[in-house]
Amino acid sequence: MNNNEDNINNGMEQTEKCVEMAGGGDPKWQKDAADQNFDYMFKLLIIGNSSVGKTSFLFRYADDSFTSAFVSTVGIDFKVKTVFRHDKRVKLQIWDTAGQERYRTITTAYYRGAMGFILMYDITNEESFNSVQDWVTQIKTYSWDNAQVILVGNKCDMEEERVVSAERGRQLADQLGVEFYETSAKENINVKAVFERLVDIICDKMSESLDSEPAMLAGGARGQRLTEQPQGNSNPNCNC
Amino acid sequence: MNEEIDEYDIYHQDFTTVSDWEVFIARIEEILNEWKLSKSNKSKPIEYTKKWVCKVEEFSFQGVKFVLSYHTLEHSCDVEGSQESDKFIRLEIQNGLWEATSRFMEDNDGSPFPVSNWYGLKRYLMLCPSIPLIDGSLIKVIMSSVNIAFANVDCSVPLFVKIREHWQQSYLGFYEDNEYKTSFDTIHLKRISNQCSHLSGLISLFKSKIASPVALDTVLVSAKYSYELKDSEPFVWKKTNTTNEFLSIDGFDVKKLTELPFGSDKNPINSILLNAIWPRFRESTIVDSSTFSDIDPIMAPTWTITLKMRDNIQCQLSETIAKMMDLLDNNNLLMDTLGLSKSLGLVNPLHKITEAPITISKLVKAAIGQSSNIHEFKGPISDELLMPLLYYIFPDAVDDATFKYPSQLEVEFKQADSSEPKLCSYIKTSPEGGLVWRMSVTAARLYDAGGLLYLAHLWYEFTQELQYRWEHRILVPGVAEGNPNARTCLLHQKLQLLNCCIKRAQDGTGSLTGTSSDDEYFDCSEDEDGDEQLPWNRPVGRLHRLGDATLKSGAPLYVPRTQDPAPKTEDQLEEDAELMVRLGDDARASELRARMMSASLLSDMEAFKAANPGAELCDFVQWYSPRDWKSDDGGALGDRMLLPGNPWTETWGVARPVPAARQRRLFDETREAEQVLHFLRSRSVSAVTDLLLPAILKAGAAKAIAEGVQGNSSSVGGVDKRRTFEIAAREIHEAEIEACRSLCVRTVLEKSVEGMPLDAAGRTRILNAAGGALPAPARREFSLRVKDAIAPQVMRAALGTDMTIIGAFTESILCL
Repeated sequence: MNNNEDNINNGMEQTEKCVEMAGGGDPKWQKDAADQNFDYMFKLLIIGNSSVGKTSFLFRYADDSFTSAFVSTVGIDFKVKTVFRHDKRVKLQIWDTAGQERYRTITTAYYRGAMGFILMYDITNEESFNSVQDWVTQIKTYSWDNAQVILVGNKCDMEEERVVSAERGRQLADQLGVEFYETSAKENINVKAVFERLVDIICDKMSESLDSEPAMLAGGARGQRLTEQPQGNSNPNCNC
Repeated sequence: MNEEIDEYDIYHQDFTTVSDWEVFIARIEEILNEWKLSKSNKSKPIEYTKKWVCKVEEFSFQGVKFVLSYHTLEHSCDVEGSQESDKFIRLEIQNGLWEATSRFMEDNDGSPFPVSNWYGLKRYLMLCPSIPLIDGSLIKVIMSSVNIAFANVDCSVPLFVKIREHWQQSYLGFYEDNEYKTSFDTIHLKRISNQCSHLSGLISLFKSKIASPVALDTVLVSAKYSYELKDSEPFVWKKTNTTNEFLSIDGFDVKKLTELPFGSDKNPINSILLNAIWPRFRESTIVDSSTFSDIDPIMAPTWTITLKMRDNIQCQLSETIAKMMDLLDNNNLLMDTLGLSKSLGLVNPLHKITEAPITISKLVKAAIGQSSNIHEFKGPISDELLMPLLYYIFPDAVDDATFKYPSQLEVEFKQADSSEPKLCSYIKTSPEGGLVWRMSVTAARLYDAGGLLYLAHLWYEFTQELQYRWEHRILVPGVAEGNPNARTCLLHQKLQLLNCCIKRAQDGTGSLTGTSSDDEYFDCSEDEDGDEQLPWNRPVGRLHRLGDATLKSGAPLYVPRTQDPAPKTEDQLEEDAELMVRLGDDARASELRARMMSASLLSDMEAFKAANPGAELCDFVQWYSPRDWKSDDGGALGDRMLLPGNPWTETWGVARPVPAARQRRLFDETREAEQVLHFLRSRSVSAVTDLLLPAILKAGAAKAIAEGVQGNSSSVGGVDKRRTFEIAAREIHEAEIEACRSLCVRTVLEKSVEGMPLDAAGRTRILNAAGGALPAPARREFSLRVKDAIAPQVMRAALGTDMTIIGAFTESILCL
């Protein structure tokens, strides 16, 4: 009992920080100087049809455990994992969603703050693969414009029951302009790789976005650009 | 100097350098070598871009700081080892010099010193002392010192020394190789000397400088007379609509107040510069001497126009936006401004519109009997002004259709695939021309005109009207239909939510009259089940059959009517998420979350039970989560539904058969509506500004686009709201200045292009505007050039209030 309370208290402490980062609607990646536990926080979402293995996938990544049957997620749940990327501590707040049709409205409400999506189907279930396009539409409708997506075909350990070939998955990913992995939460295949890749894509996007608006970095006076230097302009790329 | 010793030694072993000046020379040599500017350096640039780059080195000499800099146009292509290095470089300089005479001395080529433009140089060295070099003998010593350094290094780039006072554009320069030496001279006088005040005097000066032993060819001349037309009134571009006179005028035009101002209200043109240009004529064709001149600017082959704009153009739109942005720092409650504060809840809401002369009937009815005994708040805005504004924002309250909202309010979102993002596309939108736009723009204009009191009063009336509409179940017009759309701005979401409440309330009292119209009936709480429970065998609340699916019992499976999940605005969703995050991410927290989320699951299960009497959980799962259903045996649960302690079984266990219509509502419209109204009333000044700014910025951007500004939008992400607003405001400001400028240019130049030859109509227009005759030229410029046996010789003079004469004269230094 004591033990449990401790856990909750820890949880509270941890989450206070998340809240700061998650507030304000649009995704943020500002560094919180006061926080010692992480440099950035990314909110990620795992979506896809019911019982394609979203919860198992998340538990494999966050706890490195596998249970063949998780309770079907009611609404939405999340887990936290901190990773190191380019010498930075990145805290991942990974939201696990219910796949049932009736939960669409509830779950799509959480899309907006997300910076990355893992869109999952089950290679042994044709219907879940056919729904991918619908899910993409959901992302386009409800998410932030720059949100990154990775398509994942899960349960690739169940080769005998496979109905969606890897080739079809790859073709669909190409068509959608997203990256693609086949994974197995059970055999721990590519689980870590998917998350790491997604974090990398988000980091790339983030530096791109910062580059395109140098004034933002200066954080100074309105309209201030790199000040014009009449002399000593040794950087040929500098367009001032 | 001893050739055996390298520079390093020279520098440190002073015994070889006997005088101070030799140290000076040695230092310059060292720098030139370091920059690899010797002619022996094999790599030669042959193609250049238009961008100047430079290298700088500083050194002190006898307490005076010198800055030696090397300026070159960026090379886009270098060539290795040209054999005739001398000739190659010389030709480049001479060609540049000749070509430069087709431009003018005051043109700007982007390099930090004017010499490149004067002489058409692509590369040059410049030595600037920190103190002015006035003393003639000192200048001579420095010139000869740099000359020695230049020769020792065999430098491949012309070298200049800045002389005289710093403000004077005076430079002495030279370039030499084995055969020729070119001197670049400058004369700068504060007054125009008599001899040089006319073309013929300049020509004779030019000829005497060349001192050619043989007869010269005809000198070619180009001339430019510049006129500054100060009186630009005939071209003033005026956009009026910004005066705040509406405050005192009866029956003003609402449009005046509700449209954002744009552009500059003062004449943004400082002056119009007219250049009359004679590109090229022979010395004898035009006479201009001390006694007679037939130079007539009206006959000049080319006229060009450049506009000089005022430095700080005051742009009205940006001013309005900036004023609003300033409010972001004010954290007082907006209603405190009116002295109403939180007591507002006590003030009986009666809206102005209810007293209006023309009103829709139900509003009038509602007003009767209430108006007499109510302490009514009197705001600073007079009714004559307020009423038309409110009718503009809530046009459905009046029969007049002037300001009716369009029936289809489209929210235009940024298309992911659209190539050209519009100005401020990253600002959250709301339907263009909808209520949020009208309200926000009106608020900005009122604030501009009457200050915070006016803004507060408008906001007060706005919230009062919303309260009235909620109470009387009248939808808020000009708001997009449906649940709050998180892609729209927060104020719009709040109004969407309010409309959801109003709609629900309308349905609650209107459509269900068949059963009961008592409000409390729908508010039934869980412990009332005794009266409300239905017989198990009577199905209620069926929507339709689910295909030909059957229950385990064999009866057809019906999909029940269900409650929709509660509509929420983004701040509420954030709060929800925050709450869930606070629980932590362990198993217990996860269980708690599942419980929190199971309200709608319970509601659906109850509705299902009501529609399908005698149904089992597996029947429900067959509809709700088909992949957890197995067809064995008429229906069975999948593995994960059989796990002990799972919320599905638990919830099923407590679910009673209650149709959606009789369930406790997931969405309590009364609570939600009151929350929206309270939210809006209790905002601080800065929070209200936060709500209004998106639409103001969007409307501003739309205005700028309508005024023909191209405007490019930055890609903004990962910054906070305040910063996003600032970026947007900056973009709009830039766009507005650009628009002012281009409108002025269009007015003055019509079809012609600034700085390019003016068409005949344009010349007439300008001349008429100047009153038929041009004033005395503010500046005259002559370029004289001739090619003699040696090289092109060039002299240029700029005569204004002062006089600058520059010359590039080349002589042969070959020993015969």
